[in-house]
Amino acid sequence: MSNFFRRFISQFKEYFLLVILIVISLALLSRNDKPEIKRIRAFAFGSFAVVNNFINYFTGIFKTDSSYDQLKEENARLMLEINRLRKQGIENRNLRAMLSITDTSQYNLIAADVISKLVNKIRGSFILNKGFKNGVRVGMPVVSPDGLVGIISDVTENFSVTKTLYNSSLNIAATVQNVNVDGVLSWNGKELIIKNIPTTYEINVGERVETSDFSTLLPPNIPVGVIDKKESLALGLLHTIYVKPYADIRSASSLFILTIVPSKQINHLEMNLMK
Amino acid sequence: MNWNYLKPILFFIPLSVFQLAVVPLISVYDISPNLILILIVYYTLINGQIFGMLIGFIFGFIFDLISGGLLGASMLSFTISAFLAGYFYNQNKIDINTASLLFILILFLCGTINSFIYSGISNSNSDISLIRLFLYIGILPGLYTSLLGLTVIIFKPKKGIV
Repeated sequence: MSNFFRRFISQFKEYFLLVILIVISLALLSRNDKPEIKRIRAFAFGSFAVVNNFINYFTGIFKTDSSYDQLKEENARLMLEINRLRKQGIENRNLRAMLSITDTSQYNLIAADVISKLVNKIRGSFILNKGFKNGVRVGMPVVSPDGLVGIISDVTENFSVTKTLYNSSLNIAATVQNVNVDGVLSWNGKELIIKNIPTTYEINVGERVETSDFSTLLPPNIPVGVIDKKESLALGLLHTIYVKPYADIRSASSLFILTIVPSKQINHLEMNLMK
Repeated sequence: MNWNYLKPILFFIPLSVFQLAVVPLISVYDISPNLILILIVYYTLINGQIFGMLIGFIFGFIFDLISGGLLGASMLSFTISAFLAGYFYNQNKIDINTASLLFILILFLCGTINSFIYSGISNSNSDISLIRLFLYIGILPGLYTSLLGLTVIIFKPKKGIV
């Protein structure tokens, strides 16, 4: 009997090993959100990012001087300011009677370089060279001088991981600026889409899309992109909108982290409402 | 210990750095070659299926950790790719398998399956169909990986350092 088992195991050892390894992989996959796994991951990518940072120093040797970076930072700041003012302009036009509706505080930016990228059609992410020590926290939005790039998903002492818009696990509440209609922006592996927008809203190609007031992940009024095309579903009741992001996410190298965590902003707003 | 078993481990670290820091520069519309898969397939064809699965599993684990990706995704996709590559292992045909166009074909097959499994696991969007995952997100990276695998054939020494 034991001979039979030995022979059986020996004959199918590759399959046994495959099953064992698959089971271990699946077990780990299901535990990705456990704090202990997160800690191990943070330690590992944080340690390895030091090596990537070193490589990035050499690949970035042809970069221009620091004044270029300062100008980019200024550009990002102005982009956010312009968008905020544009939003206020629309609100002023629609609600003239009301005053001081929006938050007038300024966003602080942390400049960061992309030191490595996980290039994937489904799950795009970057590692940035700024971390906890620099004031980066999980949930902070990441922008380029043109618009939203992603959101911080993991932070270590000196480095952080950004989930980009080209990541199917990132769904954000977005609004079409002119008509103020909200929807969920997601990545379908090929394009950024907002589904199920009622056709009663007159939405045109070329209109701006920004983060929504309803977003629990991101602060409102960060420019996301522009409507590239729209499609009506079979019954003609709903639209699917395709959004072209302002930021060139694929070739992003220098980015900015907005030092704002949405929950704090919501708390602040709630406190204002109670006054 | 056989030198052939140690070599992939030595190559893995620099290749991982290259994969994360340099390969993004040559990616086209998020389609990029997978250098670590080339390493795994190559050494599976030299050392066999079990060895391939083990290095696929270990390298996948380490790569998931250092890339900040989903832990377990590369482990699973590399293990299954190595298992597939292992079917082409033949002790008497190692040179033919690793230095001919057959290597490119095996790499294409494994690259496609690897990318398909990785994307399938990582995908959280129910709108992406399996056919699209396979054709668009599986085959193209597989093709790019196999194209890069040509360098292995071209630069492979007759009696190997590699």
